Amino acid sequence: MAATLCSRLFPRPGWLPLAQSIRHGSKAVTRHRKPVHILKKKLMAITEYIPPKPSAPPGALAPPTRKAEQESGLVKLLKKDLQTVFNECKMVAVVHNNATNSEDMLILKHRLHRHNISIKFFPHQVMRSFLAGSRYRNMEPLFIGQTALFVSKEPKVREMLQVLRGTPQMVLLGALIENTLLSQQGVVGYSRLPSLTSVQGELVSGLTMMTSQTVSMLQHHPAHLSALLQQHLKQQQTGGATEPAATEDAPKAEEAA
Amino acid sequence: MLSILRNAFLGLTIRNTGYSDVLQNQLKVFSAGLKTYDIPPDYSDVVLPEKPKLKLLNKVPNFKKARKEMKRLRDIQGPAKGATAFSRGQYAIVALGGGYLHWGHLEMMRLTINRRMDPRTTFARWRINAPYKPITRKGLGQRMGGGKGAIDHYVTPVKCGRLIVEVGGRIELGEVEGVLSEVAKKLPFPAKVVSRESLEAMKQEHAEREANNQNPWTFKQIVQSNMLGLRKVVSPRDLHNHGRYTGKFFNPDRV
Repeated sequence: MAATLCSRLFPRPGWLPLAQSIRHGSKAVTRHRKPVHILKKKLMAITEYIPPKPSAPPGALAPPTRKAEQESGLVKLLKKDLQTVFNECKMVAVVHNNATNSEDMLILKHRLHRHNISIKFFPHQVMRSFLAGSRYRNMEPLFIGQTALFVSKEPKVREMLQVLRGTPQMVLLGALIENTLLSQQGVVGYSRLPSLTSVQGELVSGLTMMTSQTVSMLQHHPAHLSALLQQHLKQQQTGGATEPAATEDAPKAEEAA
Repeated sequence: MLSILRNAFLGLTIRNTGYSDVLQNQLKVFSAGLKTYDIPPDYSDVVLPEKPKLKLLNKVPNFKKARKEMKRLRDIQGPAKGATAFSRGQYAIVALGGGYLHWGHLEMMRLTINRRMDPRTTFARWRINAPYKPITRKGLGQRMGGGKGAIDHYVTPVKCGRLIVEVGGRIELGEVEGVLSEVAKKLPFPAKVVSRESLEAMKQEHAEREANNQNPWTFKQIVQSNMLGLRKVVSPRDLHNHGRYTGKFFNPDRV
């Protein structure tokens, strides 16, 4: 009995009453919203507005096409300037400018000017765009941070290094000297080379010494000469069996000696 | 001292152009003190009417024989048919729900707007009629029965989407928005201030939402084809309104 009463009083969940008492007649209260029927609630819930998926942002799909920048007149002028610098100057040294103040810069300029070396600054943008298209493109890694160019029409490397020794703010990175790209050590080595005229003099003196030696040898006693030749033949025979390549060089070396 | 000040000032105002140190000296752009002003709007075609202020509306219409009416809730339900677009002004109060405006509301609007507007540059116009719908009440302490009561007062029924007051002239929205929004929140239904552009944008947005709805089930389709017999539980007006209006209430986020 109790079980049936309970089942009547507390309906099972999910059970809709078969008959509901509905009050008919016009209810003119417009002050508040009427309770909505459950089916209409469901209908409203199912037909809610669903916004369209936002499309991918325009940058996500296509790679960003960088607009071809029109070179300004100033950049063109600077590039032309740079071109003349690279064409006319035999020495173009790249130095790192480590926060030189204007006073030091003035002194440095003055010292360099004494040797006809000038100091030039170019923006990296201009420098990179110039180097990328030219045959000096291997110089590109030198231009990082604050850099300056020491340029001169004559390769005055020793003077430049002397001046740089007095200004520790400027650090030499590399140089283009007579169409040869040199590192810092290379520049130092280049500065130790003797001048061109002295080297030519040495060469000429060496050449004249050889001829004078042959002449003096020929003026010796013939017996001495024949002994020398016999020794040469003997050397050639013994050496020719083992090393044919070495025999080629040996007489030349001797002759030169 | 002066040089320090000048240096500080230069540091603030020099715009960096991205070139290295040497070039910066030549490319100083001084931007302090420069200001670009917007072009003021063109009011050459605005003609102010003779009487720019809001008219006093009659509290009681002068009928020969006052008739008691039924409630006729239909005249506040659903969307408005007339006065939904601008006629002369640029800014207006638009109703976002149905309701009745009493003469007191109209007086409040008229007095507030007339007091705060500048009649040399601004005009205001009613977009509603004077109260015409009679509301009956039985007298205090009267026993129930004995027929319908006497006419107590008259009201103006307003439907959703109707413009109440229009304001125009040589003014911008910022000048009248304060007054209009102050008035709009005292009305007996949700209302807000719109301009010609924003009202157009509201309509545009609704049309866009309707076109781009990603829900395959729409109220219109389900109700019009009477799926699962749902017509039994929806109002006959929902066939046209598609669930956007329930009685005098407006559901703006439904499509």
